[in-house]
Amino acid sequence: MADYVELMGFGPRGWGLLLVRATLMTVAVSATAFALGGALGALIAWARIGGDRTLRLAADAYTTVLRGVPDLLVIYLLYFGGSLAVSALAQALGARGFVGVDAFAAGAIAVGAISGAYQSEVFRGAYGVIAPGELDAARSVGMPRLMLFRRIIVPQALRSAIPGLANVWQLALKESALISVVGLTEILRQAQVGAGSTRKPFAFFITAAALYLVLSTISGWGFERAEAVAMRGVRRS
Amino acid sequence: MKLPNVCAAALAASLLVVTGASAQPKDWSSIRIATEGAYKPWNFTDPSGKLVGFEVDLALDLCLRMKAKCEIVAQAFDGMIPALNAGKFDAIMAGMNITDKRKEAIAFTQPYGRTPSTFAVLKSGALAKLPEPGKVYSLNPDGAAAAEKSLNDLKPMLKGKVIGVQTSTAQANFLEKYFKDVIEIRQYKTTEQHDLDLAAGRVDGVFASISYLKSVVEAPENKDMMLAGPRYGGGVLGFGVAVGLRKNDPELLAKFDAAVAAAVADGTVKTLSTKWFGFDITPQR
Repeated sequence: MADYVELMGFGPRGWGLLLVRATLMTVAVSATAFALGGALGALIAWARIGGDRTLRLAADAYTTVLRGVPDLLVIYLLYFGGSLAVSALAQALGARGFVGVDAFAAGAIAVGAISGAYQSEVFRGAYGVIAPGELDAARSVGMPRLMLFRRIIVPQALRSAIPGLANVWQLALKESALISVVGLTEILRQAQVGAGSTRKPFAFFITAAALYLVLSTISGWGFERAEAVAMRGVRRS
Repeated sequence: MKLPNVCAAALAASLLVVTGASAQPKDWSSIRIATEGAYKPWNFTDPSGKLVGFEVDLALDLCLRMKAKCEIVAQAFDGMIPALNAGKFDAIMAGMNITDKRKEAIAFTQPYGRTPSTFAVLKSGALAKLPEPGKVYSLNPDGAAAAEKSLNDLKPMLKGKVIGVQTSTAQANFLEKYFKDVIEIRQYKTTEQHDLDLAAGRVDGVFASISYLKSVVEAPENKDMMLAGPRYGGGVLGFGVAVGLRKNDPELLAKFDAAVAAAVADGTVKTLSTKWFGFDITPQR
């Protein structure tokens, strides 16, 4: 036990600092992905609700593909395929040598793309709770579309989307572990490095599990608070 | 709205940094070398996050010989070959064995290390007195006759014994090829599992790479275990560990090949491997 504490501590033999850094990296990449996914999800939800036939089909295809393909595959495609494509483009424009997408960007975009597909489903469901009469009323007073979106749709839809978004956030948090394959030093990759460097795999993997649990517990509590605040003054049926 | 802004800025910045940094001249005055950083003692990470190990020292030595500025980057072992071919880095030094399968995708220099495989047994067990402990045999054509003789000498002692080995490894192929009719081969998913069964007495011995077994028998909880019998390398046990390179960089391959040959010839590989492994892993020619 004392051995474990020293190994995970902040002393000269301890891996504490590296693990804290890796945890921050996990939070950063998950939050970036979640934010990207939010923007993407809102656009897709809009395309599926208000778009014409082509837009609807495209949005449907996107969510079907991104939710149906293994997440690891999406990461590989974006990281390796993306680098090849960017290099080819740069060379066509006259640059020499290799131009790459870095691990953080590729990882955040990949997890964000997947998260966007899930978030669009959440937003679409949340949109359904808005009474059609309110939308008609807003239009009848000549409210511009953006104002209608900002004042009528967002406050009500976001409120009921919070529990669903909390789920999608947990997904993003766990999917961020997959980015370890492209060498981004987040929690899982750091645990693998520590395990291989000390030959104490159990100590590192149990610590990684604890760190994920801490992150998901804190964020779960945060979403609960957010929901409580958002639901103030709303009658529950 | 603050968090998304911060994230978007971070994302944009990271994209920019990369596009700025990469495009490299092809005169190989600077080389990026990938390693795993999690495979002690070949290459691993110390608690301050620094890459250390046999291959890190060797890479620095090779770069001096090639008069190149080298950057060593840590990369997960999965996906290392596609990343090399995509151009993320220029060379792999990650305890990677030359195999026919890998040779389809990338090029290798001559090997800079070959760790033979051997047996580990219980000190109190029937196999504790296997002959010629520590003697190294090569299964390559030049040493095959002597190796075959030593294998035949082992057979009477091994007859009817149960030997554990990790499944789908070169070591498993070795046992299948030379001892199929003599011993009972028990295959395990990981090497840790056959160690546990050896400690419990369910197998009489295990057969694995010595770089792994040495750290096992030295662990305080395994004080009943010991290495036994001769050591074997080459042939079905693999060609050795080498620098992996893209197939379309022949100039870089020639440079690395010359540097590895020089490091093997002047004893640098021997010195470094004795420092990190406790024994010489220089490939026997």
